[in-house]
Amino acid sequence: MDIFLFKNQLGWVLNEKKLQEVDSLWKEFETPEKANKIVKLKHFEKFQDTAEALAAFTALMEGKINKQLKKVLKKIVKEAHEPLAVADAKLGGVIKEKLNLSCIHSPVVNELMRGIRSQMDGLIPGVEPREMAAMCLGLAHSLSRYRLKFSADKVDTMIVQAISLLDDLDKELNNYIMRCREWYGWHFPELGKIISDNLTYCKCLQKVGDRKNYASAKLSELLPEEVEAEVKAAAEISMGTEVSEEDICNILHLCTQVIEISEYRTQLYEYLQNRMMAIAPNVTVMVGELVGARLIAHAGSLLNLAKHAASTVQILGAEKALFRALKSRRDTPKYGLIYHASLVGQTSPKHKGKISRMLAAKTVLAIRYDAFGEDSSSAMGVENRAKLEARLRTLEDRGIRKISGTGKALAKTEKYEHKRVQRKRRKRKKKEITRINRKELQVYHLDTSCLRFNWEHTRDAL
Amino acid sequence: TGGTARTYADAYLPLSCRRDAPAPVAQGSARGPWGGREMGKGQGERRGAGCVCTQAGKRGFRAAGSRGRVKGAMVVSVEPHRHEGVFIYRGAEDALVTLNMVPGQSVYGERRVTVTEGGVKQEYRTWNPFRSKLAAAILGGVDQIHIKPKSKVLYLGAASGTTVSHVSDIIGPDGLVYAVEFSHRAGRDLVNVAKKRTNIIPVLEDARHPLKYRMLIGMVDVIFADVAQPDQSRIVALNAHTFLRNGGHFLISIKANCIDSTASAEAVFASEVRKLQQENLKPQEQLTLEPYERDHAVVVGVYRPLPKSSTK
Repeated sequence: MDIFLFKNQLGWVLNEKKLQEVDSLWKEFETPEKANKIVKLKHFEKFQDTAEALAAFTALMEGKINKQLKKVLKKIVKEAHEPLAVADAKLGGVIKEKLNLSCIHSPVVNELMRGIRSQMDGLIPGVEPREMAAMCLGLAHSLSRYRLKFSADKVDTMIVQAISLLDDLDKELNNYIMRCREWYGWHFPELGKIISDNLTYCKCLQKVGDRKNYASAKLSELLPEEVEAEVKAAAEISMGTEVSEEDICNILHLCTQVIEISEYRTQLYEYLQNRMMAIAPNVTVMVGELVGARLIAHAGSLLNLAKHAASTVQILGAEKALFRALKSRRDTPKYGLIYHASLVGQTSPKHKGKISRMLAAKTVLAIRYDAFGEDSSSAMGVENRAKLEARLRTLEDRGIRKISGTGKALAKTEKYEHKRVQRKRRKRKKKEITRINRKELQVYHLDTSCLRFNWEHTRDAL
Repeated sequence: TGGTARTYADAYLPLSCRRDAPAPVAQGSARGPWGGREMGKGQGERRGAGCVCTQAGKRGFRAAGSRGRVKGAMVVSVEPHRHEGVFIYRGAEDALVTLNMVPGQSVYGERRVTVTEGGVKQEYRTWNPFRSKLAAAILGGVDQIHIKPKSKVLYLGAASGTTVSHVSDIIGPDGLVYAVEFSHRAGRDLVNVAKKRTNIIPVLEDARHPLKYRMLIGMVDVIFADVAQPDQSRIVALNAHTFLRNGGHFLISIKANCIDSTASAEAVFASEVRKLQQENLKPQEQLTLEPYERDHAVVVGVYRPLPKSSTK
């Protein structure tokens, strides 16, 4: 009589049987009844939930024995004093080492394992096949996640959903506020013209309600002094109609809704910022949270975004303009969603195109680092951004530097170069400067005083 | 990239795919333009002659596929293929399709077609034979794929789950496909596919050590192997000894370059078949996957065939 250790998604199964020849074995396992004659379930240790099963199997994969298995083996097998048959020779070795049980492993054992596996459902009483299938699926997914080192806070679906919700909220909020203004404007139209900020309008409305209460109401926390006085004055001489209690009640409900949604929107924005920093720190540093989130949402996922070329990321969001220009053979757009990044926003319109191209190139590196990299630090993003900012400054200064900067550059090199090289350099510079001056003569119709200044300045430098 | 529906479906579907195909006459006769077919070396049964006739006879009385809406002057329809669970879409271009288990979703960007049959809208996904070896084998005229509705399949070398999704469509919600894939990149996509389809069980382990995932898998009816490794016969054999039931079948896709890039393709196929035979895996069919792949062959066979009973 041998005891078989069979690992199942549900638990450890120990079967008991007599060893026989190999050939006829598979016949015995054709039906559950026959199988039950050959092997008998000795003990079935069930896993409580998927987490326990996962722990047991990961321990097994590393070649260690789980505590639970140790307990089971000690209890059952040691009592029975019979050899234990296992499917995996290595596991048998480990069990022998740790628990001092003799294990056997042979082709016969394998045959029997096959038989047991094929009749698994029948051999364990009281377990439904659907439960087994569900457990199997759950366990397989948990094991795969364990293998992939899945971390729940690196899921970029949150970002995509959050940014879409943000846009939806903005639209809804706008609609509600317009409706609120129009509705209340029927009763007190001047308030809308005095208070331009939507949130203050709603808060004010919520506090006061009917026009009659304005005189006694305290609006000092919401509005500055003059505006409050204005509002109170306007309330006296307003040309709006009278409204009943019920109507005011409804308008107040709407106001409360608007204020709640506004608060939720700010909360959502903070959440989005946190998630972006956690999931894609380098992208956040390069282009900012909103633009980064929009890029990810546009591409569908961070991985999809990482597959795009830099030129694609540059015009992501301007597809309509792009294809229209391609079809009619005109100039394609220079920027898409990237236009709203702070780096592009703070340059002069002349250089926006250049900066957008440079920013797209470095951003794509940051995206790929975030999508495929192991660590989540933003050092690379910070470095690249510093580089870009330096380049931006050079670009902005280019008009001035070329003329006044050469003096400095020349001065430095004079120390280290051979005289012959210096003379050549000076000759070359002279040629260049005269060329520049000629250009300026053509482009700008400068008055001669300016030109004289430039010429003298360069002559001094030489 | 592989062809889209337009390019591969421009070639006509071979006669063997149709329901009313005439039975193959003799071994020597050419089977259409998809050459390179040879039967197993005297082993196994010749199922060809018997099967097609009986199947055609059986299906002759069934409704002749579904008629879809009329597109201009053309009728678009889907009719069942000789293999159960696989269909042929007849429209502007013909295509091999499977019934989509998750309607409305494309797994790898493939084209989907919706056809109304008997008032019910059914969605089918096109199957690209340039990307999937199984589709190439079916279009090449393989006799039996053994993957039918409700069967349990062990798929070695699942990659990103493109062919696995079609297998999942064929076997339906009652079947199970255990998809084994070792690479983590592809495994991520595989797990995403498996999230939508509950009959796919992802196993991210090395197929060389079936004992490592033996607790997840029960006995299977079919093993499909597309691993592209030099020791793939040993891998399939190990998995068959552990998981494949007696009388179960296997389909192996052999890439000649991968096993031995210096020898000729035919020699490689022959040596692989010999290795399989030594492990009690009896080959029954072999066909090359021209024109979809170069120097590829698919070997179909049976493992530990059950002794023939008196009636057939």
